[in-house]
Amino acid sequence: MKISERAFRAVGKPLARNEDLRLITGKGRFTDDFNLPGQLWAAMVRSPYPHARIRNVDGRVALQLPKVLAVYSGADCEADGLKEINHNPVPSTKYDLKLTGKDGGAVFIGKHTLLPTDRARYVGEAVAMVVAETREAALTGAENVMVGYEELPFVVGTVEATQPGAPILWDSQTDNILVDSSFGDAAATATAFAKAAHIVSDVFHIGRVTGVPLEPRAALGDYNSETGRYTLYAGSGGAVRQKHELAHVLGVEPKDVRVLSFDVGGNFGTRNRAYVEFGLVMWAARKLGRPVKFRADRSECFLTDYQGRDLVTEVSLAIDESGKFLAMRASNLSNVGARCVSLSPLSKGSGLITGSYNIPLATLRSRAVFSNTMPTQAYRSSGRPEVTFAIERLIDKAATQLNMDRFEIRRRNLVAPSQMPYRNAVGSTYDSGEYEINMDKLLRLADWQGAAARREDAKRRGKLLGIGFANYVESSIGTPKERADLIVSPEGIEVVIGTQPAGQGHETSFAQVTADLLGVPFERVKIILGDTDVVSAGGGTHSGRSMRHASAVIALASDDLVSKAKLLAAQIFHVAEGDVEFDDGVFKITGTNITTDWFDLAKRLKELQLEDFPGGLWVRRDNEMHTPVFPNGACMCEIEIDPETGGIEITRYATVDDVGRCINPLIVHGQTHGGIAQGVGQALWETCYIDPESGQPQNGSFMDYGMPRFNNLPFFKTEISEVLSPTNPFGVKAGGEGGTTPAPAVIMSAVENALAPLGITGVEMPATPAKIWAAIQKADRSALAEYI
Amino acid sequence: MYPTKYHTPKTLSEAQKIFAAAASPAYLSGGHTLLPAMKLRLAAHSDLIDLSAIPEMHGFTQKADRLSIGAMTRHHDVANSALVAKLIPALAGCAGSIGDRHVRHRGTIGGSVANNDPAADYPAALLGLGAIIVTDKRQLVADEFFTGLYQTALQPGEILLQVEFPIPQIAAYAKFRSLASRYSVVGVFISQNNKKVRVAVTGAGAGGVFRVQSFEAALEKDFSPSALVTCSVDPAYLMADASGSSEYRANLINVMARRAVENPGKTSCYN
Ligand SMILES: Cc1cc2nc3c(=O)[nH]c(=O)nc-3n(C[C@H](O)[C@H](O)[C@H](O)COP(=O)(O)OP(=O)(O)OC[C@H]3O[C@@H](n4cnc5c(N)ncnc54)[C@H](O)[C@@H]3O)c2cc1C
Repeated sequence: MKISERAFRAVGKPLARNEDLRLITGKGRFTDDFNLPGQLWAAMVRSPYPHARIRNVDGRVALQLPKVLAVYSGADCEADGLKEINHNPVPSTKYDLKLTGKDGGAVFIGKHTLLPTDRARYVGEAVAMVVAETREAALTGAENVMVGYEELPFVVGTVEATQPGAPILWDSQTDNILVDSSFGDAAATATAFAKAAHIVSDVFHIGRVTGVPLEPRAALGDYNSETGRYTLYAGSGGAVRQKHELAHVLGVEPKDVRVLSFDVGGNFGTRNRAYVEFGLVMWAARKLGRPVKFRADRSECFLTDYQGRDLVTEVSLAIDESGKFLAMRASNLSNVGARCVSLSPLSKGSGLITGSYNIPLATLRSRAVFSNTMPTQAYRSSGRPEVTFAIERLIDKAATQLNMDRFEIRRRNLVAPSQMPYRNAVGSTYDSGEYEINMDKLLRLADWQGAAARREDAKRRGKLLGIGFANYVESSIGTPKERADLIVSPEGIEVVIGTQPAGQGHETSFAQVTADLLGVPFERVKIILGDTDVVSAGGGTHSGRSMRHASAVIALASDDLVSKAKLLAAQIFHVAEGDVEFDDGVFKITGTNITTDWFDLAKRLKELQLEDFPGGLWVRRDNEMHTPVFPNGACMCEIEIDPETGGIEITRYATVDDVGRCINPLIVHGQTHGGIAQGVGQALWETCYIDPESGQPQNGSFMDYGMPRFNNLPFFKTEISEVLSPTNPFGVKAGGEGGTTPAPAVIMSAVENALAPLGITGVEMPATPAKIWAAIQKADRSALAEYI
Repeated sequence: MYPTKYHTPKTLSEAQKIFAAAASPAYLSGGHTLLPAMKLRLAAHSDLIDLSAIPEMHGFTQKADRLSIGAMTRHHDVANSALVAKLIPALAGCAGSIGDRHVRHRGTIGGSVANNDPAADYPAALLGLGAIIVTDKRQLVADEFFTGLYQTALQPGEILLQVEFPIPQIAAYAKFRSLASRYSVVGVFISQNNKKVRVAVTGAGAGGVFRVQSFEAALEKDFSPSALVTCSVDPAYLMADASGSSEYRANLINVMARRAVENPGKTSCYN
C-alpha cells in the first residue's frame, strides 16, 4: 500500500500540538490527579541492604499506630496465590536476534514476585507494604515495620558479577549469567582477523542512568466486589500490556482488569514494564474493600524506577591496508539487575554492532548478568547508544592508529544507498538510507569549514576546543501488532488506538495522518487513548514504533472505512456501490451532481438507522507488521575545555536525522532536542553510581544526580532528512530516539579530540570536570603552555 | 512530614516566647532548607515559628561605613537592590548566583547564614567581607560565628536579626558549581579594605567555610592574579566527594581566587 502525497494538507506541516493547551492549563490527567472516595494509601518498606535473607516481617508495632490498617509481606502475597509479573523479557519478533540461556535453552529470569519471600536482592527493593488512612500514616507505619534481615555477600559490578566466586543471586543457578548467545560467522571472522593489516580494539562501559520522569510513578487500585473487576489508574507506556500482565499476577481473566493511563509525565522506557506497586494496590484494594493509592517520592524514583544502560562492550575491528573494514568482533555484557525485566537493550544493540558501515563479517557474543542492583529496562533508544558508542569510538581510535582522517575512514566504509536493502553481518536488514549524504549535509550544517578558525580562537582564550563526530543507525522494531478503530460521527472522527504517548504528541501527528487519509480538516479528528475498556488492543509506545505502526494501521482502516462509506452512500442514494466515487473527502454519485461527505453520511445514518451498519459508520482494523526500519543520521558537536578547571562547555551541536517521512517537523525537532539533552546527559552529568564496597546507590536525589539544564546546552541545529522507508505505507522510520543514539559517542569524541594535544584517551562517562582535570594532571602538560 | 504546628508571630518577643514554650521548635525563614528536610522525614519539629512578619528583620540600611541587611531579606532582593549594587556589587552578584529563581525568591540571608551549609555562598561572603552578625542577644564577627559543618555560634532560641557588612574598596566572588546540585564545589570570596585582604572559601573545607591566610598575605603585597600562582592550600583540610577529590578542590581554590581577583566587583560563575 502506498499513499499519494497529493492529498497531504496536514502531513508534513509543523502544526502546534493539540495536547498542549490541556497540559499547560493544568487539565492533564496524570495518575495522581485521580482520587476515589474512601481511598487509602500504601507505603513500601524497602530493603536497606543490597542482599539479605528475610528472616521475618513483624508488623505488630506498625499496626498499633493510628490510622494504620494493614501490613503485608511476601508471605501474604504467596498465601493469596498472587503470581509473579510475567515480564516476557526476550524480544521475539521475527527480526529480533534470538537470545538464549547458556546452553541455548530458555532464559532464566528470576521470578518477579510482588514482595519477596526469601531475600531482598537490591537496595530499595520493597519487602513489605503498609496501608493506612493517609499517606503520612502509611509512611510512619512503614518506618515501624521490623524486618529481620540476615546480610548476605553481594555484587553490583557488571563484570564482577560474572566472575567465579561472585555471590550468586538465585539459588537454582550455578552463576549469575542468564544469557549467553553467539551470532555471526566466527570462523570466517577469525580468518579475516588473521589476514588484517591492522586490528583496533577497546573496552567500554556505558554506565547506568535513570529516566527521571517529571511525574513520579503512582498507582491507584480499586476493586468492585459486585462485578469482580479490578481497576488500576497508572501512567505507563501502554495500558493494554499492563492489563494482561496484571491479570496474570492477580489470577483473573484480562476482561476483569481495567487499566487507565491517560497523560504520562515522562516515560523514556522506565514506565514500559509493570511495577510491583501496581499489583499490590489492586490486591490490597480487594482485601480491604477500599481503593488504595501509592505515589513514589523522588528518592524512591531514583532508587526503584527501572534503570537504563549498564553495558560493557569489548570490540575489535580488523582493517586492511587501505583502511577498509574487514571484520568485527564484539562481546556485549548487559547488567539486568536483580531480576530480568527486559533484554531489549542487549538484543537491540546486538543487531546493530556494525553500525552504519559495510563490515562483511562479524561475530558477537551477547551475555546478560544478574547483580544486586535495581533491574534495568529499555531506556530511550534501548541498546543503540551503547553500540553506537562502541563502533564510533573505535573508528575514531582506528583513524588515529592508522593516521587517517576520521571522516575519510568513515566514507570509505559507509553502507552505500546502492546496497540497500543491506543485510549486515549479524543479519539485520537496513531498509533504506543515504549515509554519506547525511555526513555531507551535516558538515555544512555544522560549519566544519570554520572549525579550524574556531579552534585558534578558543586557544587564544585559553580553551581546548574539541570536535566530536558520529554516524548512527538504529532499529525500530517493537511489538508487531496494532489496532485502530475509526468512528465517524456528524461532529468528527475518532481514532481509538493502543499506543501511549508520554509527550510525543500522538494526538496531533495521528490526527494529521487520519485527516489527510480521509480528506477531512485536521481539527475534526480526535485521538482516543489510554482506557483499556475503550482501547481493546494495542502495542504501546516503545522502540520508536508508534508513528509507523499507527500510520500503517490507520491507513488500512481508512481504506476499510472508505469502502464501508461507499456502501452506505449507495444505500442512502439508492445506487450501485460502484457508482460511488471517493476523492479527498468527497463522495460523488457517478453521473449525477450528488455529493456528500463523511459527516453528512454519519448524520443521515443516525437518522435512518440502517441495519447493515450496527454501531454507525465505523471500522476496526488490526495490523501485524514485523519488518523493522532503520532510522539513521550523523551528528557533530564542539566543546571547549577549560584546562584549569576541567570544565566543559558545549558550544555547537548539529544533527542530520533520517526519520523517513516526517509527519510533523515541529514535533520531530522537539523530540530530537529532548533526545540530544538526554544523551548528552549520560555523557557529561548523569550516573546511577553504586558503591561497590557498600552496595549503596550514591545518586538518590537531584542534589547528586546531574540533569541536563538548558544553560548547559547550546542551541541545536537539527535537520530532518526524509528518505522514505519502503516498508510501510507512509514511509515512516522513527524520530523519537535519534537525538539520543549518537549523543554519548559524539560528546566523548569531542572530549578526546580536545584533549588530543595532551595525548589523553579513555576518559569515562560521565566526563565530569574533576575527571578531566585529573586526567590532565597525569598527562604530559607541556602542550598546555600555549593555553594557560 | 511529621505533624507540626505553624506559628506566625508579629513581634520578636512573641517569637521568643513561642520558642521557649515549645517541645522541639524551629525558626522558619524561607523554608528552603528546613522544609525539604522535614518533608524527607529527616527532621521533625513540634513547632515551626515563621519569622517573616517581624519588622526588625527586614530591609537595607547604610550606617556610615556599613551596610546592614535584615535577616529575612530574600536572595532576589539582595541581588536586585540598588544600594547593594552601589556599595558591594559582588555581594549582589553572589546573591543572584544562588540556586534558581524559585530559591532566590524564598531563601533568605538569615536562613542561609544560620544554616551554614558547607557549600552555601553567603557564608563565604560574610567571612570574606568580615561581616558582623547581629542577633537578639549580641553581636558576633563572622570569624567567630561559623564554627563547623552546619554549625554556628547561635545558641538554641537565639534569633539572627541582621548582617552588617563593612564596605570594602574591592570585593569579588568566583565559584565553580556542582553539575547536580549547582551549589559551589568551590567558591572564593575576596575583599580588600584599607589594605587588608580577606579570602574566604566555601564548598571545600572539611570543617566548612574558612579563610586562607597565605592567599591574603600574598594579595596584600600584590593584589593581582599572578601573586597567587605559587600559593596553595593543603588538600588534607579539604572535602572529597563525587564532585571532586581534595586535590581537585585545592586546585579550584587557587583558580577561583585568581579569577575573583581578575574580576573586581563581580561574581563569576563557572560550570
Ligand atoms: C534547590 C535549591 C538550590 C539551592 N542552591 C543554593 C546555592 O546554590 N547556594 C546557596 O548558598 N544556597 C542554596 N540553596 C539554599 C537556599 O539558598 C536557602 O538560603 C537556604 O536554604 C536557607 O535559607 P532559608 O531562608 O530557606 O532558611 P530556612 O530553611 O527557613 O532555615 C534554615 C535553618 O536556619 C534556621 N533559621 C532560619 N532563619 C533563622 C534566623 N533568623 N535566626 C536563627 N535561625 C534561623 C532555621 O531554623 C533552619 O534550621 C538552595 C536551596 C534549594 C532548595
